[in-house]
Amino acid sequence: MRKRTWSLVILLVSLSFLLIFAGEAPKYGGKVIYTMGTDAKTLLPPHINDSPSGEVARHIFEGLVEYDEKLNIKPLLAEKWEMSNDGLTYTFYLRKGVKFHDGTDFNAQAVKKTFDFIINGKLRRTNIYKKRIKEVEIVDDYTVRFHLKAPFSDFLNYMASTNADILSPKAIEKYGDDYGEFGKYPVGTGPFVFVEWKPGEKIVLKANENYWGGRPYLDEIEFRVTPEDVTRALQIQSGDAHVTTRVPPVMYNALKKDPRVVIERVPETRVIFLGINTIKKPLDDIRVRRALNYAIDKEKICKVVLQGMAFPLKSPISELLPGHYPVGAYPYDPKKAKELLKEAGFDENHKLKLELATPKGRYLMDYQTALAIQGMLKEVGVEIDVRPMEWGEYINYLFAGRENAKYDIYLLGWSDTLASNVIDRLFSSTNVPPLGENIGFYSNPKVDELIEKISRAIDPKKKDEYLAEVQKIIMADAPWIFLHNVQELILYRKGLKGLIWHSSEFLDLRKAWWDK
Amino acid sequence: MLRFIIRRLLLLIPILIGVSIVSFLMVHLIPGDPARILAGQNATPEDVLAIRERFGLDKPLTIQYFMFMKALISGNVKSLRTEKNVMEEILPRFLNTLQLSLVSIIISATMGIFFGIIAGVKRNTWVDNLVMGFSLFGVSMPVFWLGILLMLIFAVKLGWLPAGGKGTWKHIILPAITLGMATSAIIARMTRANILQVFHQDYIRTAYAFGISERKIIYKYVLKNALIPIVTVVGLQFGYLLGGAVLTESVFGWPGVGRLIADSIFTRDYTLIQVGVMFIAVIFVLINLLVDFTYAILDPRIRYGQG
Repeated sequence: MRKRTWSLVILLVSLSFLLIFAGEAPKYGGKVIYTMGTDAKTLLPPHINDSPSGEVARHIFEGLVEYDEKLNIKPLLAEKWEMSNDGLTYTFYLRKGVKFHDGTDFNAQAVKKTFDFIINGKLRRTNIYKKRIKEVEIVDDYTVRFHLKAPFSDFLNYMASTNADILSPKAIEKYGDDYGEFGKYPVGTGPFVFVEWKPGEKIVLKANENYWGGRPYLDEIEFRVTPEDVTRALQIQSGDAHVTTRVPPVMYNALKKDPRVVIERVPETRVIFLGINTIKKPLDDIRVRRALNYAIDKEKICKVVLQGMAFPLKSPISELLPGHYPVGAYPYDPKKAKELLKEAGFDENHKLKLELATPKGRYLMDYQTALAIQGMLKEVGVEIDVRPMEWGEYINYLFAGRENAKYDIYLLGWSDTLASNVIDRLFSSTNVPPLGENIGFYSNPKVDELIEKISRAIDPKKKDEYLAEVQKIIMADAPWIFLHNVQELILYRKGLKGLIWHSSEFLDLRKAWWDK
Repeated sequence: MLRFIIRRLLLLIPILIGVSIVSFLMVHLIPGDPARILAGQNATPEDVLAIRERFGLDKPLTIQYFMFMKALISGNVKSLRTEKNVMEEILPRFLNTLQLSLVSIIISATMGIFFGIIAGVKRNTWVDNLVMGFSLFGVSMPVFWLGILLMLIFAVKLGWLPAGGKGTWKHIILPAITLGMATSAIIARMTRANILQVFHQDYIRTAYAFGISERKIIYKYVLKNALIPIVTVVGLQFGYLLGGAVLTESVFGWPGVGRLIADSIFTRDYTLIQVGVMFIAVIFVLINLLVDFTYAILDPRIRYGQG
C-alpha cells in the first residue's frame, strides 16, 4: 500500500512539473516582424560596416566562431581551435555535415575561398584582415589553418565579427566581381534563408529546414524599415510589428502600462564623451582638462537629461567589454574644478571660453547633454558656446586635420566589441585625423607602447594587465571629459519569447518563438 | 499641338544638362566627406582611402562630372552607399510615391473641389465660414503631428487601420490623407475663389436673367470655367507631392523616393542624389506638359503651337 501511495505521489508531482513547464516549451511556427530605423546597405558580410546590415546578415550567415551575449567567444562552424605557442598560427577544426543554403558543402575549401576573396578584394573590410593574415592553409577537408603576419591578441575577435562569416563558394564564383549584386543574394549556412529584399521597405527570411543546429522555431522573419522611432513604437502597440529597438525614452512610462507589450532596458557598449583638443591652448594643460571633468555632474546628466538611460563611465571603455578596468569616474567637485582652473590662470577676471561642438539627434539626447554641460561649466566660471551641427558637416569639422583643427571640445560616441580597439583607435598618437579617430590628438608614449604590447599579448592575463594600466593612464591624463555609457530600450509584443539582446547592438531572433 | 509637344520634349535635354550641373555642384558644396561617412565611424584610415579611390572621389571635380555623365548615359550609375544601380533604388520607390501621391491627390482634389464648391455657392454663410476654417486648419497642421495622431487613433486605439508600412490597400489610407490634407485645403480655397470670380461675370448674370435654374448655372456654366485654373493647381500640387512627400513617407515608413533622396543627402550618396534630382525634374516637366495638354482640352480657346 505504502509503495503504491509513493508511486502515485511521484506520478502526480511529475505530472505537475510537466504541466508547469509545458507552457514554457518553445513552440514552432509564426512570423516575427522586426521594425528597424534604417534599411540594410548590403548583405555581403565582408562589405558590411553598419548595424542594420549586420543584424540581418547574422541570421543568414555564420562564422567559424561567434560572440555570445556577454561578448565571449564561442564555437560555431568550428567545433574547436588551437593557437600555436608563438601566436602566429590558429588551427580550426570544422563542423561536419553543414551545407550552404544553395546546397554546397561547408568545408575547409569554402573557408579558404572566403578569405582569399576578402584579402584579395577591395571590400570595405578587406584591410583589417589583409593586415593580419599571411595565408590560409587547407590541412584537410575539415581542418583549416590561419598563418598570421605577427601575433595578434584580437584575432579570434576579428573572426567572430560578421565580416568574417563564411560565404558559399558557388556564390563567390557567380557574383564575386560585383559587390553590389553579391550583396543582394546572400547565401550562408545560418538558420534563416534569404527570400526577398524590397529596398527601403523590407527584407524577408524564411526558416532553414535543414539547419545543422535544428530548424528554428520561427517560420519567417521580416526586417521592416520604418525610420520614425515613434511610429515603430506605435506599430508594436497596434500589432502591425512585433519587436523594435531605439524606442524614445519619453514613451517609456506609457508603454510600461500597455498590457499588450513588454519594454526593457538593455545594455549597450556605446560610450559618450566630450573629446578635448589637447594640442590647443589652454586645453593642452592637464589641470584645465581635469577641472572640466570635476565640474560636470555625470550622475545628474544620466538621471535627469537621459532619464536613467545611461550610467557614468568609470574608464574610457564600456564596462560591458572584457578587459574593462574600473579606474573610477572623476567625482563631481566644482570646488576642486575652480581650484585647478585658478592654478591654470583662470578666474572671475579671466574666464575660460570654449566652443562645444555637438551633433544633434545622432546620439540619445546629445544636444540636450551639451546644453546641460554648458550650464554646469558656467557654475565654475567657464563660458561655453554650444555649436550643434548636422552629422555630415560635423564629421567634416572633426576630421579636418592637425592644421585645421578649430574645435575645442566635441561630443562623440563610440561603440565597439573590443577594448583594445577602443584604446588603439581613439588614443594612439599615430591614429590622428584626417584619417584616424584620435580627434583630440592625444599623445602619450607610454600609452603607445602599451597599445603595441596589448596587440601582441597572446597571454590573456598579461593582456588584461596592460589594458588596466593603459586605462589608468588615460583617465589620469583626461584627454576626454568622460561622460556615460548609454542603454537601449527594446519593445516587443507579449508572447514573443527567446529573443536575445547582444550589447554590440544585435537583436538575435535566431532562437525566438511565439508562446501562443 | 504635336509640334508643341515635341518642342517641349526636346527642351528636356538642355533642362537635364542644366539640372545635372546644378545638382552636381550642389552636392559637392555640402560639407562632409562622403568617403568617411560611407566608411562608417569604425573604419580604418585605409578603408577611407580605399573608398575614396574606388569611387573616384579623389579626382578633380570636372573629371568626376564627366565620369558621372558617362555612367549616366550608359545607364550604369551606382549608388555610393549600396553599390547597386541607382535606378534599382529609385524606380520602385518612385512607383510607391506615385501610388501614394495619386491616391492623395484624388482624395484631396475630390474633397477640396467639393468643399470649395459648397463654400463658393453658400458664400458668406456659416457653411462658407466652417469650410474655410477647416481649410485653414488643414494648411496649418504639421504633417508629422497629424500623421502620428491619425495612427494613434485609428491604429493603436481603434485597430481599424495599420500603423504605417506598405502592404494592403489599408496601408495607404492614413498616409494619403495626411499628405493630402494641406493640398485639399489649398484646392478648396482656390475653388471657392474661382467660383466667386466666375459668379460675377456678365454671362452668369445673363444666365440668371434668362431664368435658367441655379443648379444648371452652377454645374454647366460656373464650374466648367472655375475649374480650369484648378487643373493647373492640381497638377502643380501633384508635382509637389511627388517630390515633397518625404515627411509623410518618414512618419508612415512608406518606401518612397522623397525619403530616399533625403536619406541620400545625410549619407552623402552623391550619385543617388544627382540622379534622383534629375529624375524628379523629368517627372515635373512631364507633369507640366500633361497639365498644359489638359488645359487645352478643357478650354477650346487655348491652342498651342500656333502663330
